[in-house]
Amino acid sequence: MRSLLNFLERYNNLIIFLILEGIGVYLLATRNYYHNTRMVNGIRWVTYGAEEKLNNTRSYLNLRQINENLAAENTALRNSINRLVRNNNPVFFSVSDTVYQQLYQYTTARLTSNSVNKQKNFFTINKGTRHGITNDMAVIADGGVAGVIVGCSENFSVVMSLLNLDFRLSARLKSNGYFGSLSWDGRDYRKAILSDIPQHVNVNVGDTIETTGYSAVFPEGVIVGTVVDYQKPGSDFYEITVLLETDFRKLHFVDVVANKRKSEFIELENQIQ
Amino acid sequence: MINSILRFGLIFIILVLLQVLMFNNIQFSGYVNPYVYIIFILLLPVEIPSWLLLLLSFGIGMIIDFYSGSPGMHSTATVFAGFVRPFILRSNSPRDGYEPGAQPSMLTYGFRWFLLYAMAIILVHHTVLFYIEVFRFTDFFRTLLRVLLSSLFTLVFVLVIEFYRKGR
Repeated sequence: MRSLLNFLERYNNLIIFLILEGIGVYLLATRNYYHNTRMVNGIRWVTYGAEEKLNNTRSYLNLRQINENLAAENTALRNSINRLVRNNNPVFFSVSDTVYQQLYQYTTARLTSNSVNKQKNFFTINKGTRHGITNDMAVIADGGVAGVIVGCSENFSVVMSLLNLDFRLSARLKSNGYFGSLSWDGRDYRKAILSDIPQHVNVNVGDTIETTGYSAVFPEGVIVGTVVDYQKPGSDFYEITVLLETDFRKLHFVDVVANKRKSEFIELENQIQ
Repeated sequence: MINSILRFGLIFIILVLLQVLMFNNIQFSGYVNPYVYIIFILLLPVEIPSWLLLLLSFGIGMIIDFYSGSPGMHSTATVFAGFVRPFILRSNSPRDGYEPGAQPSMLTYGFRWFLLYAMAIILVHHTVLFYIEVFRFTDFFRTLLRVLLSSLFTLVFVLVIEFYRKGR
């Protein structure tokens, strides 16, 4: 304590000097724009190298966090894109079929769940009754047959996939127009069986199979697939193996098709029966 | 005591007014900026306590800063000048030392002594002030020239005042 007092007594001038100079420099540095800038620049020049290295290291260590942020941002952007797409597109847009005088309406939907490895496969899409979807509408993916709507809630619909043992489709050979019944045999998700084609018809590997439009569900001429193999079992009909146009494992977006005259069609059929 | 306080208070006010109203507006070709208020530090009694000298130096620097719009610039320089004044007085002391209650004036210790004393303090003050003002060492010699020319001008003014006091 005594030595401290001695020290203070001996150097009190120096201490006062330093304090006053400190105040002066502080004022100089904080109240003058020019001096402030110069000082900050000087300090920055001194610390620049270390700061840069630190920053490099820090940014490397933060990469994981940054990646997570970017992923989250991506998700948000994708969501907003979906919202915009849904808002901008009318729920259905119409395609006039002047040749067959049928009016079909299309709407796009995204799959929310999918399955291909069961015997009775269904998938779910993100549109429902609110978007005008009802039961028995056709579902098309990239121009190929995908399934039929079997159940709707307000915002979602369940689609019976073509890969379902209960699924039946009226399909024909594009080359000569003979039609038969297409169904899935529950084995390979890429292949379905077209039956009921009489054996006198000329069938070649590579022939295109398309829908007939007889059921008033699918429009006419939607491609189902191509012939990869055909056999003649004991009966009078071929058993044609069809490579499906639609790859159900890669299904992400589908078009739902509404037939505007379907009720009229069914009404007429019921009258006859 | 009271008398000298009043006297230095008056000198203080006159110098501040002179500096702010007149000498701050003098500028010869950007090289000569006289800061004559430093006379205040020159004229303070020899035996003034160091802490008071420092505080008074800081005070006049602050006032000048306040009126020049340059906070900290003049006060830094004047505090430095006040700090080195005792060393200059000691190294420049006359043969038989300072008398008690003496004032550092030309009248008491002669022209040669006063010239050296004033020149040293003015140079110290102006050097610190001008280099703080530009705050960089590029154009070092240009600033040095400014220091020398301004010091010369201030010195001439100080000597004129001292001759006037002597002649009175």
